[in-house]
Formats: sequence, C-alpha cells, structure tokens
Amino acid sequence: MANIAVKRIKREFKEVIKSEEVAGGAIKLELVNESWTELKGEIVGPTDTPYDGGRFILEIKVPDTYPFNPPKIRFMTKIWHPNVSSVTGAICLDILKDQWAAALTLRTVLLSIQALLSAGEPDDPQDAVVAKQYKENYQLFQMTARHWTNVYAGGPNVITEFNNKVQRIVDMGIDEHRARVALSTFDWQIERATENLFS
Amino acid sequence: MGFDIKRFQGDVDEELICPICSGVLEDPLQAPACEHAFCRACITEWISRQPTCPVDRQAVTASQLRPVPRILRNLLSRLCTTCDNQPHGSGCGLVIPKDELAQHNCVRELRALIATQQGKLTDYQHELAEQRLVINEHKRELALLKEFMRAMRVSNPAMRALADQMEREEVVRWANSLSRARVTRWGGMISTPDEVLQQMIKRSLSESGCPPHIIDDLMENCHERRWPPGLSSLETRQNNRRQYEKYVCKRVPGKQAVLVLQCDNGHVDEHMMVEPGLVMIFAHGIE
Repeated sequence: MANIAVKRIKREFKEVIKSEEVAGGAIKLELVNESWTELKGEIVGPTDTPYDGGRFILEIKVPDTYPFNPPKIRFMTKIWHPNVSSVTGAICLDILKDQWAAALTLRTVLLSIQALLSAGEPDDPQDAVVAKQYKENYQLFQMTARHWTNVYAGGPNVITEFNNKVQRIVDMGIDEHRARVALSTFDWQIERATENLFS
Repeated sequence: MGFDIKRFQGDVDEELICPICSGVLEDPLQAPACEHAFCRACITEWISRQPTCPVDRQAVTASQLRPVPRILRNLLSRLCTTCDNQPHGSGCGLVIPKDELAQHNCVRELRALIATQQGKLTDYQHELAEQRLVINEHKRELALLKEFMRAMRVSNPAMRALADQMEREEVVRWANSLSRARVTRWGGMISTPDEVLQQMIKRSLSESGCPPHIIDDLMENCHERRWPPGLSSLETRQNNRRQYEKYVCKRVPGKQAVLVLQCDNGHVDEHMMVEPGLVMIFAHGIE
C-alpha cells in the first residue's frame, strides 16, 4: 500500500479514536488487518429514526490510491434504507463517489453515513424497491426499517405482527431472510410474498 | 508529499498540515479563492484527477495554484526537525530548523560537535590539575597543623584536657544524631562477623559521621573476642540475656546492626560494656 495512504489512515484512525463521537458511543472504528488496508466501522442509528438503537457494522476498504480516491464502504449489517442496497449493503452517497474530496476523513465519512440514515434520498436510490415503498407508503417503510433494525442491528423495537408473518413463511420451509425480503418487498402481504417465493 | 510529523519537535499547528497527506507541508501551494494550502506534489496529483479544492470542492485548475504567503513559509522554516538520515537509523541525532535542512551535513555537524567537546575536555583537565595541586598544598598544611596540635597536647596538660573534652562531646553529638533501634530477635546476633561484613559496617559508620578517633576501636568491638566478660561466650550470653533489654541501642544506618555506645549506656553493668561502645551485627530482627 502506498506510503501516503498508510500514513493518512494511521493519523485518521487516531483522530477517530480520540474524537468525542467515539467517547459518546456514536461511531467506532477497528482495524481488520495489520496492513491498514481494511477497517471495520460501526455507527449507531440516529434517534427519532427507525434505525434508533441499532448498531450498524460497516466494511471499509482503503484503496492504494487513498486519499486521491475514496474508501470503499458498505454495510455489513442488513438495513432497509432507500440509499443502501438491501442485498449487498452498497451505499449511494455522493461523497463516496464523484463528490469525494481528499480532505475528507474516515471520521467525517462515518458521520455522513450516519446522517444519511436520518435523511433518506428516495429520488437517488440504491435500492429501487425500498425507495418505491418509501415514496408510496412511508409509514410501512418506517415499520419495515424498524423491524430490520430490530432483527439485524439489535434495535429495541419488536414488531410482533411482522415476526409472526415471517414465521408463517418459514414454517413453509423458506429461509428466514428470504421470507423477510419477500414480505418487505410486497408490503407484508403474505399471499403476494408466497406467490413470488414459490413461482 | 509532506514531512512525517513525527520528525518535528513538539506539536505542529494544524494549519501547517497538508489535508491530503496529513504530513507537514512541503513546498506548499494554495488554492486562489479559499486559500487552502497543500504540498505541491499532493495537490498536483489531486488536480490531475479532479479540478477542485480537496477541502471545499471549489473549482481549481493547476495553473491557478499560488505560492503560500511568506508568513506561512516562515512558520514552516522555523519548525525544528531531525535530519534526513534519522529515519534510516544513521542520522546525527541533532535537531535543526527545517530551512537549514538542505545544507545539513551529518559528518560536518558531528565533527564540529566533537571539536567543541574536545576543547571543553582540555579545559576541564587543566582545571582538574590545578585543583589537585591546591588540594595537595592543603593536605600538607593540615598534616603540619595536626602535628602541631599533638605536640601542644603532649606538652600542655590544660590543652590535653580540652582536647579530650572536645572528643567526648563529638561522640555525644554523633550518638544523638543516630536514631534509636529496637532489637526484636536477640538470637539473630552474629558474634563472629567476617572481614567483609565488618568492612561494610565500618563504611556505614563512617558515612553516618562517626568521629574518626573511635571508629577503629568500635569496629574492634564487633567480635566476641573483644566483647566484655558478660558477652564473651555463648554460655555467658545465655546467662545474661535478660540484661539485653537494658541496652540503649542506636541504628547503624541502612544495616542490620546496632551501636551500644558507652555514652548512652552508663546505667549498664560493667561486665556488659566496654569503651567506647559495642557494635552488634545481626542476621535479622532490627527495627
């Protein structure tokens, strides 16, 4: 890895560890390997959002050309959000793409991703299914997002109705996550979800 | 790319750090409108990818980049750094202002350092020789004085009484300066200490300010062959062990040993005491 990239990451790592966000528990950063090319981030879901109380793990890969190119970041924790792929965890955020600037740091990027959770942008989606639900049935989107936060990110809000529906499809011999994706996609209508799963 | 921040003395101000490489600015240039500064190599590389300021994304082209103001250049020059060879483990170890780094030569610097040190060493050697001479003269004078005193003491009884009095008072003063010791285990007494142990105790006595005219006599009295009749053998010690508690003991500083001085122990039976006092060395049990 290029010297400049390692130097930057080392300094940024220290910056994050010392920052008040870490002290307040809002973000976390850990090393994955010795060569400083891969890190693990963690952000807490913002309050007053469906993600409140969840802890979301992020995979951070630092390219050789850092900081001239942005770090590659995706969600490892499954999340229901219009700008994050519910399948791959890929994030649609301008500063991770064409709006990247060399003076941005891991700390500012993690805070931007956290801010993205508070303010979804359905008109520039990464996940078209989620974005459609967001625009057409915002309340259902919020409940679905809260349910995913509870199941995958350890959020506190249990939605019994959704859990029961997932369980009914699991009882038919379908994998739990596939059942949840199908139900979330078809606005929690069991008939449409099963039709799709068994067609 | 900038200089590694670890090479600089103390904290480097955030304003002197390149936002791209996070090192101390090297040959810096700044954007025209926002005046953000970067290392020349860093900003050139960035602009070749994207013609914006890396901090605020305002449009910037390579030709618009300007040298930074004199004040910033001066601040950078004044930072003190280790020499270029230091990171390779072969530097001269000197810390120099950054703007002198270009002309810096480890070998020349170290030679100059050796020359000044050698000069100082020669000076000190001269001084030492002179001091030795003075000390020798003083010693001769002191010997003469002692001789004179001895002669006075022998020829004049009044002087003899005075000198004896002074010596006694010196012993009392010294005895009062030592702290009291308590022996918890009299059984730990070493009645026949070897030569090495004796030398160690003697050194400690001397360091505590023991008057020189009694130190040899005291050290003679650390072995049972010179102890008084009441202590001279295991058997008599057994018989007299109840008398031990009467002793006023003084600590030999830092050692498992006590002094039982005549001047402190006028109340003790004669067969338990000798002039000018006893030294008792223990294996353990002194507080």
